[in-house]
Amino acid sequence: MEKIISIKNLTYTYPDSKTPAINDLSLDIYKNEWLSIVGKNGSGKSTLTKLIDGLIEADSGTIVIDGEVINEENIWDARTKIGIIFQNPDHQFVGATVEDDVAFGLENQGMPREQMVKEIDRALDLVKMSDFKTRDPQSLSGGQKQRVAIAGVLATKPQIVIMDESTSMLDPDGRKKVLDLVQKLRQEQDLTIISITHDIEETELSQRIVVINDGKIVQAGTPSSIYDIGPHLTKFGLEEPFSSQLVQTLRNSVKLPEGYLNEEELKEQLWKLHSSM
Amino acid sequence: MDKIILGRYLPGDSLLYHLDPRGKFLLTFYFVGIVFLANNGASYAFLLAFVIFAVYLSKINFGFFIKGLRPVFWLILFTVALQLLFTPSNNPIWHWGIFTFSKDGLVIAGYIFMRFVLIIFISTLLTLTTTPIEISDSIESILKPLKKVNFPVTQVALMLSIALRFVPLLVDETTKIMDAQRARGVDFGEGGLIKRIKSFVPILIPLFVSSFSIAYDLAIAMESRGYKDGEGRSKYRVLKWEKRDTLTILFMLGLTVILLFLRSY
Repeated sequence: MEKIISIKNLTYTYPDSKTPAINDLSLDIYKNEWLSIVGKNGSGKSTLTKLIDGLIEADSGTIVIDGEVINEENIWDARTKIGIIFQNPDHQFVGATVEDDVAFGLENQGMPREQMVKEIDRALDLVKMSDFKTRDPQSLSGGQKQRVAIAGVLATKPQIVIMDESTSMLDPDGRKKVLDLVQKLRQEQDLTIISITHDIEETELSQRIVVINDGKIVQAGTPSSIYDIGPHLTKFGLEEPFSSQLVQTLRNSVKLPEGYLNEEELKEQLWKLHSSM
Repeated sequence: MDKIILGRYLPGDSLLYHLDPRGKFLLTFYFVGIVFLANNGASYAFLLAFVIFAVYLSKINFGFFIKGLRPVFWLILFTVALQLLFTPSNNPIWHWGIFTFSKDGLVIAGYIFMRFVLIIFISTLLTLTTTPIEISDSIESILKPLKKVNFPVTQVALMLSIALRFVPLLVDETTKIMDAQRARGVDFGEGGLIKRIKSFVPILIPLFVSSFSIAYDLAIAMESRGYKDGEGRSKYRVLKWEKRDTLTILFMLGLTVILLFLRSY
């Protein structure tokens, strides 16, 4: 697998703090994978996003993006390869209307208008928001605003999309739509997705999970291997996935297979038990 | 908060909506200027006829314009009363102490009232038919020559459009904070003036804090989308000057000529 981001011995301490927010962290991220970075509030996960995008400068360590070591000179090039969807849909909507907002990133690149018109239509079509092109943000739901934010990011054709708690302010329906959309786009547009969250339930669609605590990676693996250690996740301030909690409780009274079971698998097992009774 | 008609866009579709905002913007100011040229009944009647014609062209319900008068109602009343009672005259109808009520005063008060109505109607017409972003675009376009003296026109225009974009968000934020304070027992509608003003302090401070945090988030989001310093940016919104815009200007010039004829010297 081809590496798209390679982080080595990264350390960062906020100016007014004694303990480092990111502490000697190394991580490789591969092309087209969906990596989830989970951790409780203050674990350093959002700091990591800002470091990757060069919005803050690391104290030591290196970040390589698409084969290039990031420094002050090439950070603007690197940024065109990365798109970030932030947490609050209202705080990242720059334009007065949907189309203006999608145009913002393209305007920054100095793209000629005729080309912009095409790119905006393409991006809005990808997120199924073409019908809302001339609407103002006030008339959109949170989920719709996040889809516009995704369109704004996709318009500039990035290789990496970072979702920094992008779904934490959405209702369950809006969240599911956004996550499914991201999954579909990852496959169709050959994107690398890094999603940052404190909600373990949101990591289901990812291929790999990295658990961060106190600026360090404490666990890494596939979703099922992480869910497997369920009860230990609470040690890092995370909640155990619901199905994992349920399995733990059920094991006291009924016999269930070893290892993690997702909701579907659990349902299957319960049906089996029911029919053998 | 939502009663203010002045400065609010009303979605619609008529000739006035399709005119170039730069033309509309400049002509509105031009009209406000020529209102002061009128000095007799005929010229005021002529300008009123024009404004009513423009309102008719906009296809907007007349009620919106009446509502536009509401915020300045007391100002109009005060000014008109001042003219009515203090205009010096040789043949007063009624005279008491410093107060004089005369036919001259009545006429002048009428003119002043007309001026207010004309100016407010025409500026309401501009804001009802032009989106805030179009107004900010026209300001940018009109200020463009200032670029030569290193005035940051594009940055100021972006600032203006972001400010406009965040007004509704800050209104929402204020309502939220007020509700939160009310839930803790703050009563905003009671007590004397001083007490009422004081009760706004617990709104303003959280509002300041949250606007700074919004500004910080927005700055990070803008930077991550490649915004540097406003140089080398292209523009998605373009304004197109058409024949009808030139015709509108000519029409206004014709109007000025007639007005000059109607004016008494």
